[in-house]
Amino acid sequence: MKKQEFIRELALALERPDEGLQEDVLLADIPEWDSLAVISFIALVDEHFGAAVEGEKLAAATTVADLIVIVQPHLED
Amino acid sequence: MDEKTTGLINPLSLARRRILVTGASSGIGRATAELLARLGASVIVAGRDEERLARTRSSLVGDGHSQIAFDLSAIDEIPGIVARLAKEGGALSGIAHCAGVQAGRPMRIVDQNFMDDLFRVNVQSGLALARGFRQRGVPASGAAMVLVSSVSAFVGQASNVVYCATKGAVVSATKALAVEFMRDKIRVNCVCPALVETEMADRFRTTMSDEQWQGYVAQYPMGIGQPADIANSVAFLLSDAARWINGTTLVLDGGLLAG
Ligand SMILES: NC(=O)c1ccc[n+]([C@@H]2O[C@H](COP(=O)([O-])OP(=O)(O)OC[C@H]3O[C@@H](n4cnc5c(N)ncnc54)[C@H](OP(=O)(O)O)[C@@H]3O)[C@@H](O)[C@H]2O)c1
Repeated sequence: MKKQEFIRELALALERPDEGLQEDVLLADIPEWDSLAVISFIALVDEHFGAAVEGEKLAAATTVADLIVIVQPHLED
Repeated sequence: MDEKTTGLINPLSLARRRILVTGASSGIGRATAELLARLGASVIVAGRDEERLARTRSSLVGDGHSQIAFDLSAIDEIPGIVARLAKEGGALSGIAHCAGVQAGRPMRIVDQNFMDDLFRVNVQSGLALARGFRQRGVPASGAAMVLVSSVSAFVGQASNVVYCATKGAVVSATKALAVEFMRDKIRVNCVCPALVETEMADRFRTTMSDEQWQGYVAQYPMGIGQPADIANSVAFLLSDAARWINGTTLVLDGGLLAG
């Protein structure tokens, strides 16, 4: 999966199909980024990459770009 | 020396019982298989992975144990597999159905595939095992089945709706199976554990920060459960000591729901 595809999937999971997600946006500024969105992110990573997200890394993420860094090893160039 | 000479009894004895344990490659199922063997049963350990099953099997005390690898999501294969086990190795005294899957998904990303997967492994597989168990020649006298549900059947959790629904279904199925199988002389009960320290709980834990995990565990007045805590109750419900217990749900939660 390419980076842009993953961002699109994440936007869908956050129910932002139209607005999308910019990488430099602060998660705190996305109204849909709540505790259930966090679990949706974990589920997406599990489903698409069969990988477990480490809770500590996720807790430290502050921007969309930080989320991408977490899944980077699984993304195609 | 036996019971006749000593006067001592072991009401939990499972000597000369053949019992199928699903999910025996991990967590609660593995602990159950180990305990049933120590109570004298011949255990058939089931899961999908031969190697992991072989590891459980080699940890069992006593002899007469065997293993069988099959996927519980192939529902229509299951009754035939149970019949074959009885035909080839002798009637079954019990089934401890410990296999199951947990995956958290908020409703916003739940789809049919996800629901189907969970319902197949957590609900339908147990029903298919039950169907297999009651076939002629399969159950031995004193037969009993124990299903593993969860406290999630009774307590709602955000992002766990589908799992909770599957576990609620297991509680309902237990009662209806108990009623339908009276004529077959098979008792059916279920246990509902809260959080137990298994591989499943490990996976759940990795998705939380340490702080979140500590907060979660702190809700447990007696700490979280050990696989042996569940195995003990499964063994009891399979034994003749539970002869008059049928269609019941036993909550195993270290007092979590009491307070
Ligand atoms: N741990 C808890 O906190 C907790 C709390 C309440 C209820 N429970 C319930 O207790 C049961 C056991 O949980 P656990 O913690 O022991 O889980 P676990 O360590 O993840 O073990 C699950 C077992 O189920 C087997 N399994 C899964 N899918 C299967 C399939 N399609 N076909 C055949 N076998 C399959 C696995 O075998 P493979 O080797 O084939 O993967 C494994 O042996 C589950 O029903 C769970 O919902 C657990």
